[in-house]
Amino acid sequence: MAEVEETLKRIQGQKGVQGIIIVNSEGIPIKTTLDNSSTVQYAGLIHQLVMKARSTIRDMDPQNDLTFLRVRSKKNEIMIAPDKDYFLIVIQNPSD
Amino acid sequence: MSTSVAKLEKKKRRELVLRPSSGAINVSVSGLHGSTRRPNSVVASYSGRYFSVIGGSKMLEKSAIQAPRQAVRVFDEGNNDVTPRPLYQVAPGAVQAKASWFFVEEIPGGSASDQTSTTGGLIMPFFRSVLGSSRISTQSTIESMNEEIENTFSKQDMPINLPDVQKKREIVKEQVTEEMLKDIIDVYLSETSTISLLDIPNTFVSADADDAKAIIERNSQYAEVCRNRMGSHKYVDHSVQTVNGAAKNKQVQSDSITMVDAATTVTTWDIYDTLCSPEQDETMHSPEPEKASYTEAVVDTDRVMERSILRNAFQPKLAAYRQLPVLEDPDSPVRPGTVEQRKEDIENSRSPALKCLWAFSCELSRGRSVSSMAWNKKNLDLLAVGYGELHSSNQKPGLVCCWSFKNLMWPERVIHCDSAVTSLDFSSNNPSQLAVGMHDGTIAVYNVQSQINISHVISSSKCPDKHLGPVWQLRWTQTELSLIEEQVESLSSVSADGRICKWFVFISDLNCTELMKLERVHNKKKKAGGNGTEKKSVLSELTPGLCFDFHPLDSGLYLVGTWEGLIHKCSCSNSQQFLQTYRKHFCPVNCIAWCPLSPELFLSCSSDWTIQLWKQDHCSPVLGFSSTQGAVYDIKWCPKWATVFGAIKEGQLEIWDLSANILDPVIVQPAAPGVTMKSLLFHTQSDCILVGDSAGHVTVYQLKNLRARESNQVNILEGLISSAASRQFCKTQPDKNRSIPTA
Repeated sequence: MAEVEETLKRIQGQKGVQGIIIVNSEGIPIKTTLDNSSTVQYAGLIHQLVMKARSTIRDMDPQNDLTFLRVRSKKNEIMIAPDKDYFLIVIQNPSD
Repeated sequence: MSTSVAKLEKKKRRELVLRPSSGAINVSVSGLHGSTRRPNSVVASYSGRYFSVIGGSKMLEKSAIQAPRQAVRVFDEGNNDVTPRPLYQVAPGAVQAKASWFFVEEIPGGSASDQTSTTGGLIMPFFRSVLGSSRISTQSTIESMNEEIENTFSKQDMPINLPDVQKKREIVKEQVTEEMLKDIIDVYLSETSTISLLDIPNTFVSADADDAKAIIERNSQYAEVCRNRMGSHKYVDHSVQTVNGAAKNKQVQSDSITMVDAATTVTTWDIYDTLCSPEQDETMHSPEPEKASYTEAVVDTDRVMERSILRNAFQPKLAAYRQLPVLEDPDSPVRPGTVEQRKEDIENSRSPALKCLWAFSCELSRGRSVSSMAWNKKNLDLLAVGYGELHSSNQKPGLVCCWSFKNLMWPERVIHCDSAVTSLDFSSNNPSQLAVGMHDGTIAVYNVQSQINISHVISSSKCPDKHLGPVWQLRWTQTELSLIEEQVESLSSVSADGRICKWFVFISDLNCTELMKLERVHNKKKKAGGNGTEKKSVLSELTPGLCFDFHPLDSGLYLVGTWEGLIHKCSCSNSQQFLQTYRKHFCPVNCIAWCPLSPELFLSCSSDWTIQLWKQDHCSPVLGFSSTQGAVYDIKWCPKWATVFGAIKEGQLEIWDLSANILDPVIVQPAAPGVTMKSLLFHTQSDCILVGDSAGHVTVYQLKNLRARESNQVNILEGLISSAASRQFCKTQPDKNRSIPTA
């Protein structure tokens, strides 16, 4: 567990990182560094997006799986690293 | 009837069942029919000859189907018992079994108008077509046969018969092919008695048939009856009423049927998952492993995430490192200052320069001095850096960090060692093995592939012959044994106790054989009284070896640099004598490097502020370089350009380009104040240099604008060497520009 904490802290300290959210497979946020309302919003919306993305990849080839998803927007970049039971969302503003 | 039977029988393999039109049989048959979907009384009245002609090609074996099931015995007109026998009793029975199925599909239907069954519906068109093809009109009562089949057998029976029969046929076949290929076999063909599989009395009779007259008569009688019906008194239209009973309402109550809508979407991967996933129940997992998997999962995703974030942040620099075009971030606000800076860059682009890209450093490494660096042989993005204070009195335990270019802020692996690390090398045969030499003389080999708890695979701490002084350099070399085609790798080390050892694994520990002892070569001019004291010294006659390098082509040949300033050329096969000694330096030789592109040349650098370029056969250096006053700690050839090499002096990094200037370094990069540079490494793929310093940073620089890119470097180098060498022999001729600096 300590390693997890350490890694998360390191990520949080990187340049431009605005927030980190860890969401479980049902879409409920487990750990977050943002405020509650944003967290809930991000978790709910991104959960659907990840499910859709994963479904797309696996429909094409069932042996394939989604490993990383990046959504680049005007203001920032949302990076989602999915796992079997959890996924990690990081919002970064790279031009900071 | 019998004649037609005979006719039919003459057509072998084509015809089938013949049923006599005896009344008794009709009754029995129609009794069968009565239980089928054929309610037709017309059929019952028809005695009709049912013989069916099969428009097929299958050979028919006549065997009875029904005998065990019904006590029906069929007789023809001649009172011959033509009771069908069971199918399975006949040896080559498969053919007929097949044929029977064939019937069901192909047989044209009999009485058209009465058929209500679906089979009839199917069969009808066939029948008509067959009729049209000018077949005998006494076409089959095959429908009757059909129904018989369906009647008499439950549908399960037929399939059971079939496989048996088929198996038998296969077995028989095999025996024949093996044994009796050459024999002349007599084949006797005979016809078995016919069986009736289906008997549908037809509603049409040929005009040529024997009882046609009777039928015609009956037909006409019936027609007359119908005609007479209209005006006849015999027939009265009479209505009938059925009694409708009184209806009674009765109320019944039942449980309400709850209807639930259930829907599911199934995707391709859903199906794949259920099909291919392991059959473990999730209930078998206790909650604890789930937590562990959580941490692992998060750590893994963390890693990926970290790399991605860093890639975002460092994208331009990483792109420069990889020599990819730097992409402009389309959304970043354009600052006016940057535009001007870019213009300046373009203007200054002519002169060779070093551009600082980034520095590898982390909390663990800050404050420790970098002592050595090594590339991984297989994954060229992986770098191992050893940290250790070399000259200070208090020795902190050493540290090795494996950095990857994908994560610039945190090392991939961290290995804590017992004492300060002095040298590193990755193995080529097993790319995950890293040999670490330490200040106390131990050599340990680590496997960096596992993520957790990297402990040394083997260590030389228990070896009785281990080094007594710091291991200054390690090298994995590949020796080709002529017997074995493979390349055997061995680890060699040079240390301060004056021995060069070759290590091998002996019962899970490292053990060594000595390659060479570095004995002091007494200079005969110096007959100081120090000689006497030297004999009494504990280290005896051995002088510390500080560096060595194996010849790039011949792995049995190597050079050693010593504390005394001498460079010895030695061979692995000769452990008693040096092959050659090169004297020039009078201070410890800190580093030696063979030129990778031109194997006759090597460079040596020493604390006497000079760098010397030697040719293998000459006892004195071909060229010497000195720039500022400072001991040169490390020197490396550039792997891409033969005339370029880098040197680390106290306080600065120098890049020399011999094609441009042999007196001065082309690029000089001063170190940050208070920090001394310690170690240097060129990158093999791109034009980047890594410099390690005493503050624990490993800085990555990119070489820019070296004119060395253009022409064939080796030729230039050789040319320089030859011109310089020739000048050596002609010392009497004063040369204006190029005077060889003498130490």
